[in-house]
Amino acid sequence: MKKILIVDDEQDIVESLKFVLEASDFTCYCAYNGEDGLRLAKEIIPDLIILDVMMPKINGYKISRLLKYDAKYKNIPILMVTARSQEEDKLIGEETGADEYITKPFELDAVVKKVEQYLK
Amino acid sequence: MINILVVSERKDKCDYFNTLFNKNTYELSCLSDENLIFDLISADNPDIIIIDSQINNLKNLSKKIKSICNNTIIIFLVSSTKIEKELLKYANAFFTDDMSDDFVLSTINVNLRMKNSLEMLSNSNKDLADSLYRLNALYSTSSQFSGTLDKAKLIQYMIEGMDRALSFSLTCTLSFCTTNEPVLLLNSLYELSDELIEALKVRTVLNYNSLFEGKKPPFEINADSLKVIKQIKYPASRFTFSLFRFDNMFAPISLGENFFGCVEIFKESQFSPDDATCFQTIAQQVSLPLKSAALYQEIIEANSKLAKLERLKSEFISIVSHELRTPLTSIKNSLDILMSGRCGEMNESADKFLSMAMRNVQRLSGIINDLLDLSKIEAGKMDFHFAPTNINTVIDYVKSALSEVAKSKGLTIITEQQDCVPEITADAQRLEQVLTNLVSNAIKYTPENRTITISSKLINSKDIHINEYFKDSIHIADGDYVLVCVKDEGIGIEEKNLVHAFDKFAQIENSLSRKAGGTGLGLPIAKQLLEAHHGAIWCDSELNKGSEFYFVIPAAKALQLV
Repeated sequence: MKKILIVDDEQDIVESLKFVLEASDFTCYCAYNGEDGLRLAKEIIPDLIILDVMMPKINGYKISRLLKYDAKYKNIPILMVTARSQEEDKLIGEETGADEYITKPFELDAVVKKVEQYLK
Repeated sequence: MINILVVSERKDKCDYFNTLFNKNTYELSCLSDENLIFDLISADNPDIIIIDSQINNLKNLSKKIKSICNNTIIIFLVSSTKIEKELLKYANAFFTDDMSDDFVLSTINVNLRMKNSLEMLSNSNKDLADSLYRLNALYSTSSQFSGTLDKAKLIQYMIEGMDRALSFSLTCTLSFCTTNEPVLLLNSLYELSDELIEALKVRTVLNYNSLFEGKKPPFEINADSLKVIKQIKYPASRFTFSLFRFDNMFAPISLGENFFGCVEIFKESQFSPDDATCFQTIAQQVSLPLKSAALYQEIIEANSKLAKLERLKSEFISIVSHELRTPLTSIKNSLDILMSGRCGEMNESADKFLSMAMRNVQRLSGIINDLLDLSKIEAGKMDFHFAPTNINTVIDYVKSALSEVAKSKGLTIITEQQDCVPEITADAQRLEQVLTNLVSNAIKYTPENRTITISSKLINSKDIHINEYFKDSIHIADGDYVLVCVKDEGIGIEEKNLVHAFDKFAQIENSLSRKAGGTGLGLPIAKQLLEAHHGAIWCDSELNKGSEFYFVIPAAKALQLV
């Protein structure tokens, strides 16, 4: 079973993502701040990461950059999720090597579809 | 008294003049000793000198006399009718020995009158020069006044102007506009002792308070704590308390209810009435620019406050929208899960309420998106991707996207597109947003079984007719445009509300529009988006008959020509 790491300080959002992804037969690991997220990513080496931007301790941009610059983790697809929709934020997301950029509020089904697309 | 000096050695002549001028109006002296003559001239400054041509050393003596008394009438007494040429240089008139008394007296009188006239002329000339100088000083001071809005500088110019026009010994200027607290500016020729400065402070405060006799002064001033700035021209010398015996003048610097300070000026010699006028004029003249400066400062402050508020508003909207999106996402996700049936089947009424919740979540997120869009446009942060665009493609897209919704309300959307419409330089996604908004509005406000028409055509600026409600606020440059019209058969807009159709949050107050929902931001956003395309939007409407919304965007060719 494919492993997915969900990192978001908004517990409710993590919960709903976990629910729909588990319903689609993925194994989900959850972290509620940047530090835990980064630690967990290195520990379990997931097949895909869903990453929020604005988080306590370490923000999503930084986590993405740290992982993408490390040969060991750079092939893990990262879906960035944020409530910010400014074009400049999108650019920062791309610089950090995030593979996809999803704006809140998002369609759960659309996220599931994206995940399946990356893990085919 | 007319002072006459006769220079002669001949006793009979002296006697003759003595008898002739032996009246109260004349004072006659007869001298022949050279030293005595010059002593008398320098002491008495005679009006008339009669020189006997038979006197010794005549030419030298005449030359000398002429050189020291320029304004004195010199008359030579000659015996013959022949006059030595050299004497002409010094003479105002000539007497002969045999001249009658009347002749002598009238010659004296004529010359005296002439002398008086000359003196008057010279005095008027001097006055004229003085006035001219003062006028020049006033002129240059008032041009300085008009050149600045810096209050401290204006006060400085006022003092400089008074120095130029009146050459004072000392000015005490109490100024409320140089810094935040009142300041006493002392501009003095000579150094002032500490005791004298204390005395000047007390005097100025008394003067100041006397201006508001019985009333409360605009600022409370205490002589002990009054700040002093002094400027001394010649610090080597020092003024004493005798300064207070100098002539002085005092004036407030104020305009209507605005009070900027007061000024007192001291001078060793007397001030003339002209000086007083000049002093008052300068003190009054500086008040107007001071008032302008005060107003200018207020405007600057108000503007920066406004700019700050505007910035805060944009930041506020952006933060609030961000904060709203996160919980909204959680709600929406939960609803999605429930509606997908992953938690089990819902019964019919649960399904109804879930749909209701979902609809309102979508509406709320629409509002947040609109708010974000508007704040982005207003902050100039909206990014546009301009590219050659065919308006008919946009129209087709919007028609197909909304025809389902229209159909569910029993409405038909038809299009009337001109085939040869030229391309426009536009952000297609933003145009879709505008058109979607207009057509959605039409769907919202049109009762069942009616038609909504979207049309497009090429039009020249001179053929664009904007109704009287929007004519003044829309300026269209010359050239070709693409015109799009969305026409509905809906409830229409009341005439008085028409001009406000594109105002923020201006959803027209009636039950139907409330029922129709929306943020009231769609049209203002459309307006801003079109303005970013160098276009314009306006509408025509008739109550209960329908509305027509028009927008124009310059044809690409026209833009290239520019």
